[in-house]
Amino acid sequence: MDAAAPRPKENMGEPLPRVDARLKVTGQAHYPADLPIANIAYGALATSSIAKGKVTKLRLDDARAVPGLLDIVTYGDMDKVDKPKFGNSGATSIGPLHDRTIFHDGQIVALAVAETFEAAEEAARLIRAEYEEEKPTATFDSPGTATIPAAGKSPLFKEDVKAGDFDAAYADAAVKIDQRYSTPTQHHNPIELFSTTAFWEGDQLTVHEPSQNVTGWKVELARQLKIDPAKVRIVSPFIGGAFGSKGPMTPRTAIVAVAAKRLGRPVRCVTSRMQAFGTQTYRAETRHRIRIGAGRDGHITAFAHEGWEVTSRPDPYVVGGTSATGRMYDYGSVLTHVSLVQADRNTPGYMRSPPETPYVYALENAMDEMAVALGMDPVEFRRINEPKTEPIGKKPFSSRSLIRCYDEAAEAFGWAKRDPKIGAMRDGEWLVGMGCATAIYPTAVAPCAARVRLTVDGDVRLQCGSHEIGTGVRTVAGQMASERLGVSIDRISVEMGDSSLPPAPVSGGSISTASVCSAVLMACDAIRTKLYAAATAEGGPLAGSHNEELELAGGKIVAKSGASAKVEDVLKAMQVGAIEEYAEFAPKGATPDALKKLYAGTPEFHGGDQDEDSVKYAFGAEFVEVRINRHTREIRVPRIVGAFAAGRIMNTRTARSQLMGGMIWGIGQALQEATEIDRRYARYVNRDLQDYLVPVNADIKDLQVILVPEVDPAVNPAGVKGLGELGNVGTAAAVASAVYHATGKRIRDLPIRIEQLLV
Amino acid sequence: MSQPSALSTNGLSRRKFMAGTVSAAAAAPLLASRAEAATPVAAEPKLRQPVVTSLRINEQPYELSLDTRTSLLDALRDHAGLTGTKKGCDHGQCGACTVLVDGKRVLSCLSFAVMNEGKDITTVEGLASSDGKLHPMQQAFIDHDAFQCGYCTPGQILSAIGCVNEGHAESENDIREYMSGNICRCAAYPNIVAAILQARDETKGA
Ligand code: FES
Ligand code: FES
Repeated sequence: MDAAAPRPKENMGEPLPRVDARLKVTGQAHYPADLPIANIAYGALATSSIAKGKVTKLRLDDARAVPGLLDIVTYGDMDKVDKPKFGNSGATSIGPLHDRTIFHDGQIVALAVAETFEAAEEAARLIRAEYEEEKPTATFDSPGTATIPAAGKSPLFKEDVKAGDFDAAYADAAVKIDQRYSTPTQHHNPIELFSTTAFWEGDQLTVHEPSQNVTGWKVELARQLKIDPAKVRIVSPFIGGAFGSKGPMTPRTAIVAVAAKRLGRPVRCVTSRMQAFGTQTYRAETRHRIRIGAGRDGHITAFAHEGWEVTSRPDPYVVGGTSATGRMYDYGSVLTHVSLVQADRNTPGYMRSPPETPYVYALENAMDEMAVALGMDPVEFRRINEPKTEPIGKKPFSSRSLIRCYDEAAEAFGWAKRDPKIGAMRDGEWLVGMGCATAIYPTAVAPCAARVRLTVDGDVRLQCGSHEIGTGVRTVAGQMASERLGVSIDRISVEMGDSSLPPAPVSGGSISTASVCSAVLMACDAIRTKLYAAATAEGGPLAGSHNEELELAGGKIVAKSGASAKVEDVLKAMQVGAIEEYAEFAPKGATPDALKKLYAGTPEFHGGDQDEDSVKYAFGAEFVEVRINRHTREIRVPRIVGAFAAGRIMNTRTARSQLMGGMIWGIGQALQEATEIDRRYARYVNRDLQDYLVPVNADIKDLQVILVPEVDPAVNPAGVKGLGELGNVGTAAAVASAVYHATGKRIRDLPIRIEQLLV
Repeated sequence: MSQPSALSTNGLSRRKFMAGTVSAAAAAPLLASRAEAATPVAAEPKLRQPVVTSLRINEQPYELSLDTRTSLLDALRDHAGLTGTKKGCDHGQCGACTVLVDGKRVLSCLSFAVMNEGKDITTVEGLASSDGKLHPMQQAFIDHDAFQCGYCTPGQILSAIGCVNEGHAESENDIREYMSGNICRCAAYPNIVAAILQARDETKGA
């Protein structure tokens, strides 16, 4: 079988091709800036060239003289609408046109609207701002930062976890390390540009914009515009990559909506790649100090993880990955502390595995150092410290297949052939290194609604306001309906990405497959119940059979006895043309308000470290081989193997692709990705795809994903653990470990570049 | 600054053309006509002197009235209604906008539309045959799951066809090198290589 479609093992679904694959290869998948709209006007943003101060004057005359210019939306024009809010669906509390204060470089100062894209761009570039400029604070160590404790600043980060007496245990430890690590600023850079298209029909507003959260945006946009959420529709049928960047709504959306209202015409604004660095969210730079103490037998007795994260002045964005790192191994004692460092920057936001990517990188790099200090094989070191319960609340893991992942990946990788001596493995002019690390991601789930209709012709229509960001959620939702209703996938149409559909939670935190499939399962089972009741009723074709003896397959209800009834005939006998069910799924432990909050666009998350009965995580193990040129120190990653266990796998094809994409992201984070900041001006320097490096085809060679079977009915009714964010956790530490193995150089600050290996 | 022109979006009016495109597009039925009906007809826009440009796209002739600064990419998307070609950077850095011009792959964001008069342009919309049969490269991309979000995909497919026709798909390493101008942020790279290997020989004959 071909690599893209792994043969399903236990508890895994078929590798069906994506239901929207044909649309995507023929150019018929319409992303939000593709939908043709008549009489459209084009918007272009003008942004600030300073990071801190005030706009004293805006010169608009030259811009207004551009032929084709229709309007300029700027200070004063947003006064009748409310400012954005930070948190939930909102990226930032900065209302760029509500206030002449500049909080960060690249802040929106105006939107020029014109008949053509070219005229709008020309006009936007002719808008001149005059400033009262102050010296900005760029990042860590810049004068003027303010450092505050993170705990309690975000509903997602309530406390600094701890257990036992770290100080005493660390003081007593026979072997210890105390090291510092850092990760750089990173921008998501999905290939689709950020855009907003807005038009009004009377008092009804429609916005086409790539979004991971159409319901949340509908409510938040209505709040800003002071209109009824029922009058706002967000449409986002296809999303050209998201990775978190399209989760929170940015201030641009309301500005474009206001422009469309003023003009009485549809307005489309596509943000340039360069402007997106300042007008969207990003992953902020982090710093870490890790202390680990262990006995000579390799048992860890003390673990401390301190983290520092940059955020903007007004908004306390926190990632706080210590919740996961503090629960990873059998530490004995744990001490953690996270701080926020405020600077004159745009507000960061979530980016693929927000807490785990930086924090687990630091932990796993430290674990490798510790294994070296102990003279122990790094896999063995993790095996020794495998916990029975998590160390903070002493709760069990709902399931934990980490060691099996290590075993399967190590076997496939050929770890046994690794010579542990530093620099011992060579191939001509290449130094060869091998390393490994753990991947972890919390398994969460949220309330979700779905509508499913089965017609007498055997067609199924599935509607759910989730988001196809490339994960394959449309396909796996269809697959769930196909399985439960016994209808082939090509008879199922799946509608997503529209706030007029039944609401789904934000597509973030790897919750979509679990949440959506649980709702689809409920709706399908309600349809089954009705069908079964009709078929087994007195005088029905399967009278006397019990529901447990029945199955739906191939358009028939089939009894254990072998008797069967066509669904079509059952529906006809019921005298209906279709059965339609609307299901509202709420996870175990949901509050009484859980569904209300789903409709309000503020869904509650359950699972991860939040539940009473157990903690819920997906795990994986990644092994990489690096080759470093003896002369030039060029670093290549010719081989990477990852094994992952994530409960039920709905579709081995889409699951493998997501994990593969994650692992390649991990390689990029290890070796390439970093947004450089000019400290003098608090300005991003490499604001394009030429200088912001991401992996390209030539960077990736031999990549293997192993799906490890795992059954976990405790996580949610679908038994699914999300895996879209699992694959890129740990990768960078595995690369750092391999680089150390090849060269003896321990690189603690990402990305690992040639220059660090030359010195 | 040049004089505002009396000539509006002449020739094939963009507004009319877009409305026509929409009525044929099942994805957004009625959208254009409703939006248009809701909007008072705007006064004739004053533009920089537009140029009527004849393009041959997917074997069809197009007459478009364009700002001379309009890129081939924007002409395709905003004026010809062919939005299968994607904009990922507008700077020649991502490959999403790749089309074939006279059979060779070209970054349409780096080419002014007016420079392409008389040339044969192929976009993703022109690859499948009229009976709906996919080009072997399109089918291979489906078979090998050579995309996730699908945004880079039209550019990848056109670039892959160009790569094969250049003779740069003879080995996996060659494919990786010569496809590295097309960024896939979802990182479907190994699957893209597998797809090109599958479709290579059939593409050469196509
Ligand atoms: S849009 Fe042309 S190369 Fe990116
Ligand atoms: S498929 Fe998403 S960028 Fe390539």
